[in-house]
Amino acid sequence: MHIRKMTGTEKFLLVLIVVYCIIVAAVNPAFLSWETLFDLIRSSAGNMILAMGVLVVMISGGIDVSFPAIALFGGYTATRLMMAWDINNMVFAFAVSIGIGLVLGLINALIIYLLKIEPFIVTLGTASIFHGLMTVLVGTTNIGASKLPTSYTSFGAAKLFSITDSYGAEIGVSVFIIPVILAIAVTWFMLYKTMIGRGIFAMGCSEESAKRAGFNNFHTRLVIYCFAGVLAGIMGIIYVANCNTCNPISLIGTEMSVIAAVVIGGAKMTGGQGTILGTFLGVLIMNLLNSTLVFLGFSASWNNFFIGIILLVSIGATSYQERMKNRKNFIYTE
Amino acid sequence: MDQANNYILEANNISKRYVGVQALSDVSVKIKKGEIKCLAGENGCGKSTFVKIIAGVVSPDSGEIKLNGQTVDLEKFSPIDAINMGIQVIYQDLSLFDHMTVAENIAMNRLVHQNKKFVSKKEVYNIAQTALDRIGVQMDLDAKVQAISIANRQLVAICRALALDAKLLFMDEPTTALTKKEVDRLLSIVLDLKAKGISIVFISHKLDEVLKIADTITVFRDGKLVGECDAGDIDQDKLAYMMTGRSVKYQKYERVNENNDPLIEVAGLSKQRYYDDIHMSVRRGDIIGLTGLLGSGRTELALSLFGLNKPDSGKIYIEGREAQINSPWDAMRFGIGLIPEDRSTQGLLLKKSVNDNIASAMLDKLKTPKGFVDIQKQEEMAEECVRRFGIKTHKIHTKVGTLSGGNQQKTVIAKWASTAPKLFVLDTPTVGVDIGSKAEIYDHIQNFAKNNMGVIMISDEVEEMVANCNRVIVMFDGRKLMEFDEEDMKDPDIARRISVAIEAGEQTVDTAGEVIGGVQ
Repeated sequence: MHIRKMTGTEKFLLVLIVVYCIIVAAVNPAFLSWETLFDLIRSSAGNMILAMGVLVVMISGGIDVSFPAIALFGGYTATRLMMAWDINNMVFAFAVSIGIGLVLGLINALIIYLLKIEPFIVTLGTASIFHGLMTVLVGTTNIGASKLPTSYTSFGAAKLFSITDSYGAEIGVSVFIIPVILAIAVTWFMLYKTMIGRGIFAMGCSEESAKRAGFNNFHTRLVIYCFAGVLAGIMGIIYVANCNTCNPISLIGTEMSVIAAVVIGGAKMTGGQGTILGTFLGVLIMNLLNSTLVFLGFSASWNNFFIGIILLVSIGATSYQERMKNRKNFIYTE
Repeated sequence: MDQANNYILEANNISKRYVGVQALSDVSVKIKKGEIKCLAGENGCGKSTFVKIIAGVVSPDSGEIKLNGQTVDLEKFSPIDAINMGIQVIYQDLSLFDHMTVAENIAMNRLVHQNKKFVSKKEVYNIAQTALDRIGVQMDLDAKVQAISIANRQLVAICRALALDAKLLFMDEPTTALTKKEVDRLLSIVLDLKAKGISIVFISHKLDEVLKIADTITVFRDGKLVGECDAGDIDQDKLAYMMTGRSVKYQKYERVNENNDPLIEVAGLSKQRYYDDIHMSVRRGDIIGLTGLLGSGRTELALSLFGLNKPDSGKIYIEGREAQINSPWDAMRFGIGLIPEDRSTQGLLLKKSVNDNIASAMLDKLKTPKGFVDIQKQEEMAEECVRRFGIKTHKIHTKVGTLSGGNQQKTVIAKWASTAPKLFVLDTPTVGVDIGSKAEIYDHIQNFAKNNMGVIMISDEVEEMVANCNRVIVMFDGRKLMEFDEEDMKDPDIARRISVAIEAGEQTVDTAGEVIGGVQ
């Protein structure tokens, strides 16, 4: 296979992650353990899946802020249905949540197409509508760990494989890694190996040119927003399993941090650009900070502060480089 | 052989009416296999409508189209059908995907057209390489299109059409953004394609190029076919007459100003990598032509005068006093106006109205005592500019982006003229402007100079400089290669002398072709 060169952003993030890990390990050797790694895999699973959806949307030149509402809609509804119908089965949970994600994604795509409104405005609206609809139709009660179907608890605790650490405790890699790998693989295949994927990049470069090349932008958009919806549906179930509780107002408001991770990874709001590796590193760095700043003695309240700094520095650096390059060619964009 | 089979396209008695406008009336055009035809005419003459009809984008109200001798069913004729018949259009904006690679851009349309579901990198490379081989050009298949020169993008667009088995290729203003050398390369590729039996229709404003390469010329005016002839039977003047319906003779400018003090004087101005030790002096009433190949430093020098490209050393004097021009605001304060090379991105707010665009360079003069913009005054001023500069727009509130190239350029000129600058720097002011508007723009420029302004006009067109400039400076590789003074400009042979001077640079640059590529 032809391996492409890493982009500047990817190199920057990789170096940042390595340097950060060295610093944390130097300050607190407890950081260097299998447990830290396994925890990181588990805690970043949900965001990783969402980020793949956001990446695809952003490459197409669009944006989606409704995915937390979709994930919550899917996760909460599936849980309530399982309780009401007494179905204690994860396959059912995923099927319901994915189905809901698909339908809600379809609604996003249709509204964008029919009303010709910018995706940001549309999904801002649908995010509220979806969440409102859910609370009205499905309910607002919080489902605590004791009431949650037991299959969630066992799914949340299931390990792909496990080892015994130096204290004799059994630790392992969560099965959450399976849907994550699947999501990444499918995203990669779709973006780089199918004509739909080429259409997504083409649309992000120029919608008009994509149309002239013969792409059906409406079809492309349907696939994009349905794909993001399906991924959100999957994440909804993983989220409930991870928290071991199902709260009908959680997740809402987390969209910006996922978008931030994707942007840190090199995707541009203007479309046509973005890589899977970059997005992966962006999510990784965000979750790494979230879970390991404590090793450095910072309280969790510092997370957002550092995320913001990384976002501005990494984007600022690439934009500065571009501006200098443009200036050499006498293109003044500021 | 059957006569009909010699023609790839026969369009007979085509008419098309849009709401209120007869875009085409009873037009018949025939194109032979392996023929290069030039479709000429001013903006709005119906050229684009004609191309759209042949490409299946627009269906005509009446008429008949035969492709390869077969009559097509116009009711059902779609863009896909047109592509299947080998018709390809390269639009002026090229419609490429900037963030994708050369190979992907070349192969994409073909893959879409073949209704492929999956992409194989090998197939993409194969398609791209085959197309590039056909025009005998080497290119890095993995380069992103945004990183290659405009000339190479043009070639990518041609390869994309070839990959789809183009038999009849329409090219809309393909040479607008190219240097002379790049134009020559493009034209030789077009001749090559012709030798391979492909028919090409050129849509171009640049008459000299048209005459050099075309076999036949078809001229449209106001939706009607007004002339059809072999390229050998016509000269530029006749062609211009056919296109505009009047004899277009540019008025030759002569300076009459009695004040010979320098308005702006440039002494030993240098900027590393761009230009070196430039001396130049502009008086009131001067129109100085600044020319040279792309990469000669002419645009870079002009930008320095406008505070956008700070020189490393040397001095600029304005009316005898030394001036530090560090930003466009400084330049405006010193009375310098710049009309940039690329009007759509650097000179205009395309989504804003004519009214707002004209006002944008002089908002401080439109301020009310409380600091708001005086809307009434702004509109009065805009109305006056529209009248004075003959901008064809039905209201001042029309978005500038919807106007034709010539009228957009008139709007930029009006914008700066209303600030009443002392020195006007115009970078290639008539690129993409049709002949009629060109003459009007020249009139305005000459009027500026007659009214005591100094003008520096960067230009690629020798004819333009001969008509308008009383002095011409030829730059090459960052240095002043030659200066033609007022006496020289009266020489009947001056056009040839200027061309020779520009070419002199060109020959030396051949070995350093990278210089040109690098600047793009």
